[in-house]
Amino acid sequence: MTRAASLAPAIFGAGTLALLLGLWEYLGSGGGVALTSVLPPPSRFISSVAESGFRIGLGSQAAPLAQSIASTFFRVFAGMGIAFVAAIVTGALLSLSKVATWCLTPLLYVLAPIAPIAWIPTAIVVFGISNVTAVFIVFMGVYFILTIATLAEIRRLPEEFTTIAGNLGAGPVDRWFRVVLPAILPGVFTLLRTNFIAAWMAVLVAEMVGLRDGLGAIIMMGRNLFNNELIMFGMAIIGVSGFIVDRLLAMIATRVLWWRI
Amino acid sequence: MLAPPPLQDPAFKVDRLTVTFPGADAGARSPIMDFSLEIARGEITCLLGPSGCGKTTLLRALGGFARAENTGGVLFQGQWLRAPTSDIVMIFQENNLYPWLTVRRNVAFGLPYCEGTREEKRGRVEAMLRHVGLEAAADQYPRELSGGMRQRTAIARALMVDPKVLLLDEPFSALDVALRRRMQELMRAIWASTRTTFVMVTHNVEEAIMVGHRVIVLGGRPMSVLLDERTDAIPKDRYAPETLALQRRIEDLIESRRV
Ligand SMILES: Nc1ncnc2c1ncn2[C@@H]1O[C@H](COP(=O)(O)OP(=O)(O)O)[C@@H](O)[C@H]1O
Ligand SMILES: [Mg+2]
Repeated sequence: MTRAASLAPAIFGAGTLALLLGLWEYLGSGGGVALTSVLPPPSRFISSVAESGFRIGLGSQAAPLAQSIASTFFRVFAGMGIAFVAAIVTGALLSLSKVATWCLTPLLYVLAPIAPIAWIPTAIVVFGISNVTAVFIVFMGVYFILTIATLAEIRRLPEEFTTIAGNLGAGPVDRWFRVVLPAILPGVFTLLRTNFIAAWMAVLVAEMVGLRDGLGAIIMMGRNLFNNELIMFGMAIIGVSGFIVDRLLAMIATRVLWWRI
Repeated sequence: MLAPPPLQDPAFKVDRLTVTFPGADAGARSPIMDFSLEIARGEITCLLGPSGCGKTTLLRALGGFARAENTGGVLFQGQWLRAPTSDIVMIFQENNLYPWLTVRRNVAFGLPYCEGTREEKRGRVEAMLRHVGLEAAADQYPRELSGGMRQRTAIARALMVDPKVLLLDEPFSALDVALRRRMQELMRAIWASTRTTFVMVTHNVEEAIMVGHRVIVLGGRPMSVLLDERTDAIPKDRYAPETLALQRRIEDLIESRRV
């Protein structure tokens, strides 16, 4: 593929997005249309938030937008990061014992399909309204799936990989860190990326119903203040941030963990 | 004049070997039962035989990878071989290279387990890459390599740990004829400089004659030695009458055993 051809999807995608935004602006600036108050166009909601210096909230409680973004990102990344490492460690330990795998696999398959959102009430009761709650929710949302993925990836490993390492002199620890781990990382990471959206949504919901900061809280604040501009702004920021994170994860998958077994 | 001893100081003495597979009926369907063979040190032995006769199983047993019934087994330099060792390195039919490592790092994989200083090891890697003609591809990943380059990488990696024996399971079967012949010459060149014991499985009769000092034809179930021929005296010229005659004899033998 030439460079121009490989850019084509991005150009068409951005073009369509720009077209829709233009249409929205055009309809919204018409005046009198109901759309303006419920779905204020970007120029309106951005300028409205800009007027308050990109600080969200009332009076002395107002916090900079960057802080909301940072809170949500911290929760999602901490939860996904901890779950990723924990799942690989669990999967590795389970793969050492057939009996342990038999015992725990049904449990994993029961826990995996529970939507992360379902953990919110329990988490708030146990951890209260804190970052731990949010991180826990994300963790529960991806940990079981990733443990199952780790077990599957280890099973899928060609027998030769570890045999060769042992033959060249590597002990069990080196066989794990130099062969098994790099071999399974891309597959497990792909599942992390697939489950990112669920984790992302769970944090936003937790921020709406319990936690008082973060991107999800912006929406609730807009609702409580009857401020449609703030609601739209919150939605736009959530959409753009989610998109950026997904691109980031995709980039890690293709640039850092690119190999396939 | 003394009669030449049968095999003074063999690398391997396969003594009434019976291989069992985990899960399979004990011995009942095993291709290798009560099998005996001696393999000399410091020369290239080529194993020929039809698909499924047990060549890979035998090679795995020589590497210490197979499970043997304790009525017999494999003696390596006079000691019973119970587990794999880095003295005997095997190159498998597939999945030899780690896709996340460059050629150089694949080749250097076993070095942390060898003696020597860092600089010395680095020098050895570069020398080996030159030796097998991979210096230009050293920073490429396996997926960017041709089949011949992959096999050269696997051979280089095995040789880096300075093994006493190299076991090769149909290493060139996926290569086209021209490349195959280049690899055969490379094998002879490597042997000439290291004098390592090579045991190579192939299903190509010409290859066995051209590369080996000794050609062993295996077949039947359970597996037995159908023909055991030294090829030292035969010129390493694939069109020499002696080469063609032996090739024909082996092909006829394999053909006649086919059911
Ligand atoms: N893991 C295994 N379990 C059971 N039987 C096996 C296994 N591996 C090989 N065999 C048996 O051994 C026979 C010989 O296999 P193999 O040594 O791979 O043959 P070759 O390399 O000569 O083609 C096969 O036909 C099969 O019946
Ligand atoms: Mg085979």
